[in-house]
Amino acid sequence: METLKLRKITSVWIIIVLTLFVVAIVLGILMRLNQGEIIQQSPITFYGNMTTHGLTMIGIWFVAGMAAVNYLLERYVKTSYAANLFALVLTVIGVLMLWCSTFIGEFHAGWTFLYPLPFKIMWAEWATPLFLSSLGVLGLGWLVWSISLMAQILKKYSISQAFAWQHFHKNPKVETPPFILITMITLIGVIACLIAAVILLILFFIEYFSTGSFVNDALLMKNLTYFFGHTIANEMLYLGLAVIYELFAEVSGRPKWHTTWYVALAWNLSLIFILTAFFHHLYMDFVQPEGLQIIGQIASYLASLPAAGVTVFSILVAVYRNKINWSLTNLLFFIGVAGWVIGGLGAVIDATISNNFILHNTLWVPAHFHTYNAMGNVLFSLAFFHWFSNQYYHHKERQNTLKLSILLIGGAGFLLAFYIGGAESIPRRYSTYPSDLPMGATLASIAALFASLYLIAILIFFFNISKKCLKILSSSPQSS
Amino acid sequence: MFKDIVIFSSIVMISFVSTNVKGQIASSGWKEEDRIYSKVFDAPLSGKQLRKGTTLYQVTSQKPTVLALIFTRCTGVCNPFLLELKENIELRTNEKNFNILVMSFDPRDTEKDLDDLAMRFGLSEDKRWEFAVTDSIRSLVQSIGFKPVWDSLRQQYDHDALLIGINSEGYITKKLIGIRNNADLGLLLASIQDSFTPTYRMANPNMLFSCFNYDAKTGKNTPGLGLIFVALPALIAMVIVLSVNFFVRVNRI
Amino acid sequence: MQQSILMLFLGLLAISTIVFTYVYQSSQKATDLDRGMANPLKSRFWFLLILFVILGIFASVTIPKSPYYFYADETPSRVVHVAAKQFAFVLSNNAIDPKNPVGENAIELLENELVEFRVTSFDVNHGFAIYNKAGQLIAQTQAMPGYVNKLRWKFSEPGAYSILCLEYCGMAHQIMRSSFTVK
Repeated sequence: METLKLRKITSVWIIIVLTLFVVAIVLGILMRLNQGEIIQQSPITFYGNMTTHGLTMIGIWFVAGMAAVNYLLERYVKTSYAANLFALVLTVIGVLMLWCSTFIGEFHAGWTFLYPLPFKIMWAEWATPLFLSSLGVLGLGWLVWSISLMAQILKKYSISQAFAWQHFHKNPKVETPPFILITMITLIGVIACLIAAVILLILFFIEYFSTGSFVNDALLMKNLTYFFGHTIANEMLYLGLAVIYELFAEVSGRPKWHTTWYVALAWNLSLIFILTAFFHHLYMDFVQPEGLQIIGQIASYLASLPAAGVTVFSILVAVYRNKINWSLTNLLFFIGVAGWVIGGLGAVIDATISNNFILHNTLWVPAHFHTYNAMGNVLFSLAFFHWFSNQYYHHKERQNTLKLSILLIGGAGFLLAFYIGGAESIPRRYSTYPSDLPMGATLASIAALFASLYLIAILIFFFNISKKCLKILSSSPQSS
Repeated sequence: MFKDIVIFSSIVMISFVSTNVKGQIASSGWKEEDRIYSKVFDAPLSGKQLRKGTTLYQVTSQKPTVLALIFTRCTGVCNPFLLELKENIELRTNEKNFNILVMSFDPRDTEKDLDDLAMRFGLSEDKRWEFAVTDSIRSLVQSIGFKPVWDSLRQQYDHDALLIGINSEGYITKKLIGIRNNADLGLLLASIQDSFTPTYRMANPNMLFSCFNYDAKTGKNTPGLGLIFVALPALIAMVIVLSVNFFVRVNRI
Repeated sequence: MQQSILMLFLGLLAISTIVFTYVYQSSQKATDLDRGMANPLKSRFWFLLILFVILGIFASVTIPKSPYYFYADETPSRVVHVAAKQFAFVLSNNAIDPKNPVGENAIELLENELVEFRVTSFDVNHGFAIYNKAGQLIAQTQAMPGYVNKLRWKFSEPGAYSILCLEYCGMAHQIMRSSFTVK
């Protein structure tokens, strides 16, 4: 079972994630306020905040998922504390380097830092190498952590067991718990996308140090960028799903979920679809061969099948006409799955090439990914945080309805403004909107208002959960 | 483990860098964009294989045409340029739905000079090749946007090696400047058949890892060197899984 | 088009919300005797099959409408060369020299003529998005350095059209724009 050390480091992760989350939300609200012309920021400040907001959010919800998976994995295998700590230290260093490059160095190429934008210096000279290095530091820490977790799984389970292939036969001798299967599949995706980041960074640095004698191919760099960017954003959600598979039945007082042939098949297929779906980011680059574009659309469509047919359906089956011990934890899981489904619908619409032709890089894009992050993945992680901290310091849950209502109303209003903006052809990543798109500013102001409600709800969670996590940090071995 | 991967990928990358620099010839890509989809001048042609009074449109209306502009007294690029074109065309023995028209832009050149040139290249019997001169070369080069400059010191024209793709309606569909590879020629041949490709690459000496090359046989882009890099992350991830598996097994035994 | 996409999305949003709410309420009302869904494996199969068919139909209808196939068998009557650079577009009837990028002051296109935009970039990635007078995005492609993307389009309505950059390209991205008219 879990050690006190693991419990403490998980608490540290939670406090860091929630603190950085609040900061990143504030940056987001400032961006919407600026677009709504309620405050005036220089474009450099705006785009700098945009870069920080994006990468910080990706980073924290990735590590939140990893920390949760690491904690729960201890139920099955012994995990490495050293790797966990290594990742923690490198994440903190990486985030500080990132913030230095954006806040002090005014680096503002966006978190996707699309080649060759980082080389068109519009900021302090040192900010580009610092930003790229910060990614290297984050990537290194996460890669070591992922490989270490995978190694621990493979120590206990053979490769075919880790992929649950024995479930394709009748009456398998060994059962692979769903949690192990999903974690394994997800970790491979994580490792692949981090390797993509490593290759991308190497190519960036070769050009940086070659002083002009080596030039990269813009199309290759864009493919690698989205291999990394899309896949990591997708995988962090799957880390959250692993947690649901492990905890939802448990906290609901229902029998534990089992791996069956279709669960095994669905997740094995997911791995293939995830690794090819990123092509949908390049639909408007006509230079990409049509074959890959169509693979992009089909893989994006197919990715929804195992997800909807297995995970979503399983949740619905588990709840439908079954007596459930509803608590904040499984409510958050349940609402999170709904948010994930709705975001997924927005995503499938946008992953259709003919729709993408008029939606690409409009607000529709942030609309759908904010849906399954802010109303999906964040809720999965909050559910875990809540469950984790309640194990040791249980307080009676009060005003759950109020907390959830603020969260939902805030989230829904904020997201709807994005969707309508997308349908109104309002471009994304504009610090202010041109006068011929007047809806942009109005929607941004409304979004800022609702996002503030969302922030209030998050602050309540932040205080409740952090208070308990701080107690865990100060607890002595005797009390455990 | 991680170190090995970094070393491995660096080696792979460095070997690519060192081997693939040659073979890429610079050309100013933008000039190839000039006069696209404008009509070429309907010049009267005279050549050994052509009936008297044949005009350029009559040639192109039979079959879409690749026009190569040279002059026979050239001591520079014309000979290697024609040789490369000949070699590339020879690779396409099965494709017969186009003409290659070699024309001189030098008013001093006669029908006889062109005929000798065809003989020298062993092309006078090849049905796909025509060699011709015209008395209205000035209007023709103007309609193409081709600007040879006379260098009186060297007694030579300073000019680009230019291939022009002309479709059956007489429109310029694509240009290639410089001695170019077979894939680029394929792109030009596709364009004169009016097959639409939504994109193409600009020639640039520095770009090493192109993801895709155009395959004229299928009319599609095919995976290039760069695509290996797109697939590499997934491959390396698989290698990591297998190596980690091997490593933990060995340690357990 | 965008409005119908929004309506489709809102419809699907409503259906999902109703399903999740209904399932949640069914569990609130459930007693210890309730056994949940009868034969979930069979329902799952049907659910997946229907989903697969819907997605299949959707894909086969939409893929042929992809912009890569627009007017592929026609010869354009107009070519507009577009070079994007931080933070402006150069539009020209002739090819654009990167060393001396000059374009026309005003580009005029004819109603219903097939125009081919040949879009490239001289520095970073940009977007080339055409907005009509009502501020609606009607067509786009990316401007990528080293590549030329060809966008073919026929304008069915005369008027002033705007071009906006839709790929983040630096601090003045939001003011990078151009325009042309269709007569």
